[in-house]
Amino acid sequence: MRFRFCGDLDCPDWVLAEISTLAKLSSVKMKLLCAQVLKDLLGEGIDYDKIAKLTADAKFESGDIKASVAVLSFIFSSAAKHDVDSESLSSELQQLGLPKEHTTGLCRSYEDKHSALQDKLRETSLRLGRLEAVSWRVDYTLSSSELREVNEPTIQLKLQVQGAESGSTETAVFSVSADKFRVLLAELKQAQALMNALQ
Amino acid sequence: MLLVLSEEHKEHLAFLPKVDAAVVAEFGRIALEFLRRGSSPKIYEGAARKLCVSVEMVQHGVEGLMFLMTESSKHMISEVDFLDSVLVLGFGDELNQILLQLYEQHRSQIRSILSQLPSNVPAYHNLEWRLDVQLASRSLRQQIVPMLTLRLLLTRGCDSHSDQISRVFQTDPRTLQHLISTLEVALATMKTSHARRILRNIK
Repeated sequence: MRFRFCGDLDCPDWVLAEISTLAKLSSVKMKLLCAQVLKDLLGEGIDYDKIAKLTADAKFESGDIKASVAVLSFIFSSAAKHDVDSESLSSELQQLGLPKEHTTGLCRSYEDKHSALQDKLRETSLRLGRLEAVSWRVDYTLSSSELREVNEPTIQLKLQVQGAESGSTETAVFSVSADKFRVLLAELKQAQALMNALQ
Repeated sequence: MLLVLSEEHKEHLAFLPKVDAAVVAEFGRIALEFLRRGSSPKIYEGAARKLCVSVEMVQHGVEGLMFLMTESSKHMISEVDFLDSVLVLGFGDELNQILLQLYEQHRSQIRSILSQLPSNVPAYHNLEWRLDVQLASRSLRQQIVPMLTLRLLLTRGCDSHSDQISRVFQTDPRTLQHLISTLEVALATMKTSHARRILRNIK
């Protein structure tokens, strides 16, 4: 059976198994649990004590608690990833055996946070070597050991980049002569024009 | 099978009967902590002070005990064999029983620690990817070049927090197709009758 929220693939077995665990919660507690899991996915941190209190009525053990958080995280992030609308999600979850009231609560939470989730997922997409900071300085060379009167402006550039492989900040410092810098600036402006044409 | 203990090992363990049972149990605990986290000289000094013996004797006693435990766990020695091997040391019955208890309680833990030791080949941890289209470069405008950028995260070591290695690479769609079909062939070899015969016999 192909499910849209799993990316047109079969639903993983563990998701199927844990949906029946979720059904043990009352639908009110389920909606509160969804709110907690969504907070975690949006990077606001997760409060395990609250979740433990919510699941205490259904007598969840620690394994069950972790499993229900995992399955809700999977459902939300996978549905946001494949841009599934909430009606399709609702019908697919009911096909998998999640009771109607639970599904309604889940899909309402999903609809509210749908675009916020997608923004967060877009942010965490793979990006290599992000530019973090640029600083510059213009100097005027008066004279040097090779030539008495030099009288030339130069630019010193410091680029702070997040390393592609290591992920930690790397710094590149270099100086550019006036002519070279003009070429650099012209090329970058052309690239910027191309980017703006696509926006 | 019987363990054969070297003379030096026997000498180190000869310290054990001179102290009472509670101390031996404590040494056993220190030996296991050693396996899990490495030893610290402070522990040895504290014990040496309490028992009024040299630090070296304590250290040798603990290390000898630890070696006895790891060798026994490594070979999965049965009770009888363990008692026979320990008989060589000439300890009293009570001490032998304590050692046996220590062995049985901690055998599976020691085995799981030992199994994590040889961490040779980096293992797959995560794969992130991104699909881009190159539209222009400094040298050429008006291009359309689809490209897949991948970051492969590997770990060397037992848990996922030790030593992460990251490899970044790019492929074009054709190479990606080839990659996918090669991996599918690899997966399909698990289902051949040859592989199935071997898997059946391992169980």
